[in-house]
Amino acid sequence: MSNAPHILVIDDEPQILRALRTILTEKGFKVTTASRGEEGLTFAAASEPDLIILDLGLPDMNGVEVCTRLREWTQNPIIILSVRDSERDKVAALDQGADDYLTKPFGIEELLARVRVALRHSVHASEAQNKIVKAGPLAIDLVWHIVKRGDEEIKLTGTEYKLLAYLASNHGRVLTHQSILTHVWGPADADHTEYLRVYMRQLRKKLEADPERPQYILTEPGIGYRFIADE
Amino acid sequence: MNQKGIIISARMSRFWQYLLAFILVTATTAIFFLLRSALDTTLIALLYLIPLGVITALWGLGPGITGALLTFLTFNYFFIEPYYTFMVHRPADVVVLVVFLIVAVVISQLVAQAQAGLAAATAREREATQLYEISTALTGLHDDHSIAQILAKQVYAVSQGEYVELSITGTEPFVFHLPEISPPTRASELIIPIQAPRGVLGEIRLWRAASAIMPSEKRLFQTFASQAALALERAWFAQAESRAQILEESDRLKSAILSSVSHELRTPLSTIKAAASSLRGKEVNWDSPARAELVAAIDDEADHLNILVGNLLDMSRIESGALQPKREWNILSEIVGSVLARMKHLAEAHQIEMDVPESLPLVPVDYVQIEQVFTNLVSNGLKYAPVNTIVCIQAQVEGESIHVQVSNQGPQVPPEHLERIFDKFYRITAADRVTGTGLGLSICKGIIEAHGGRIWAENLPNGLAFNFTLPLTWDGAKSLQLPMDTESE
Repeated sequence: MSNAPHILVIDDEPQILRALRTILTEKGFKVTTASRGEEGLTFAAASEPDLIILDLGLPDMNGVEVCTRLREWTQNPIIILSVRDSERDKVAALDQGADDYLTKPFGIEELLARVRVALRHSVHASEAQNKIVKAGPLAIDLVWHIVKRGDEEIKLTGTEYKLLAYLASNHGRVLTHQSILTHVWGPADADHTEYLRVYMRQLRKKLEADPERPQYILTEPGIGYRFIADE
Repeated sequence: MNQKGIIISARMSRFWQYLLAFILVTATTAIFFLLRSALDTTLIALLYLIPLGVITALWGLGPGITGALLTFLTFNYFFIEPYYTFMVHRPADVVVLVVFLIVAVVISQLVAQAQAGLAAATAREREATQLYEISTALTGLHDDHSIAQILAKQVYAVSQGEYVELSITGTEPFVFHLPEISPPTRASELIIPIQAPRGVLGEIRLWRAASAIMPSEKRLFQTFASQAALALERAWFAQAESRAQILEESDRLKSAILSSVSHELRTPLSTIKAAASSLRGKEVNWDSPARAELVAAIDDEADHLNILVGNLLDMSRIESGALQPKREWNILSEIVGSVLARMKHLAEAHQIEMDVPESLPLVPVDYVQIEQVFTNLVSNGLKYAPVNTIVCIQAQVEGESIHVQVSNQGPQVPPEHLERIFDKFYRITAADRVTGTGLGLSICKGIIEAHGGRIWAENLPNGLAFNFTLPLTWDGAKSLQLPMDTESE
């Protein structure tokens, strides 16, 4: 079964472990579980899973710390699980290198979608980037810097394009405010969320059919943004 | 003036009293001497009693007795034959002299006693007035600080000392002093504990070097102290009582929470349990449409439970003051848009109108919390307003803040309830008619107030509106100037 991706789930709640093991195994993944942070780190080092699902509220150590320690040696995707209202922890873990997050309680389609996106990005990280990202009528050519709706080209300013390109090349993944600001404006402007708000609005106006109810550039409240492309 | 000086001045005035007594006796003697031929010896003896009474009344017993003895001698010397000797020839004159001496001394003493009695009565009256003043000032005071202030003022005024310091122990010890300067470096002249039945509540320290503190003054200050002790005790009992009342109130509230919450939690749980167990059993066919319905019920009710638990968590966070908005510059229309997108399936039976101009300035708010406010206000409108009516969201700038109105065409609220609908678990309609924990509006209030805004409800001609304001400034700063981006590709 070398083809089945291996997922390590680190969570201290046995019910969650039971449910995730059942569902993920059913979906064809190989699943290992750990109920403590240290245990999880040991398993991860021993078996090098393709993806790690990590709960932030572990009894023995802070989930953000687990995330930091994993990132010291592996670039394989990490999806964090957390309860509502812990945006700070989520953002901290994402800025420490976690790839995505899910808020408990979550639907299983949501989890599977995150897993698919994370695995795809980890494969693509080693290969060449996707040249053209498609989302509905939109096509974003990351090589020629051309954005089109159908056949019509959409004019973007330099910053708008940089922003869209960063979102599109990470489509499906959540990107924190800080990571977008650092990437597009530079580390000195990492706190200026207002730039992001204003440029996102402009971008949505140019790309979305209804900018108030966006379909492609989604807001992740308190965390950041996510670009939804065709699978 | 130092201590020695005071004693000297006291001695000086004493000396002057004796001297004046001597002068008065001499002057009287001189007048009588001039009229000697016209006056009878016994009449002179009688008249001599007048200056003696005056002396005693004015200067007290010492000068009085001295004056009496002096008068006795001058009377004998100048007015009893043989003149200019201290000898007495007539036995009747001996009787006059002896009687005069006795009467003079007795009068002196009586006058002095009356005088002292009067002084004591005046002092007592003053003391009584001061006590009355302090006790009326202390009546009805329920906090330690104002009690300490009154006590210090009274001691300071009555003692005419240079410095008064009050230290009050208790749950929150503090020190109060008069005047507003640093205390003298030397030790205080007087320390009086404020003693109550259950122990020492503090102490009064008085600095007064100008004159020694009399025992009577000390007694007076002790009485002040015990008055203050009573007032402090009273205040503490009152505080304890109001604390007990608050506890009782919050206890009642907790039972209300528990009963409301367990009812609300049990409803979705029952649905989930029923649906899950029938799916598990053999009652429902694997491919019947009922199966899909049951699964949908489980999913919906789980979401409902999640919202309920979230509301409870929010409420406890607001109650404990732990709700700290994580402010960022946000676009209000974006927040409203995301709420409406998420509530689309709930709002199918209503029409939602949104008038939140994009041109509004950025607002410094916690995205998640303000999203919660809109969610609660809109879902409140959807719950209470009849189907096919309009729920409307409007926002505009008013001065330094943004004014938002979420209105619906649902039933109005009696004016006396308009404020109370933001209270926890406050429902005007029968609880069974509409589900919910009665927490939504109080969470909105908590969030808006944590942002420095205000929220209120008002009746519209054809419905009900919730209004709130959000400040446009953040730590005094307005939305930053945005970087220009002119280049284009």
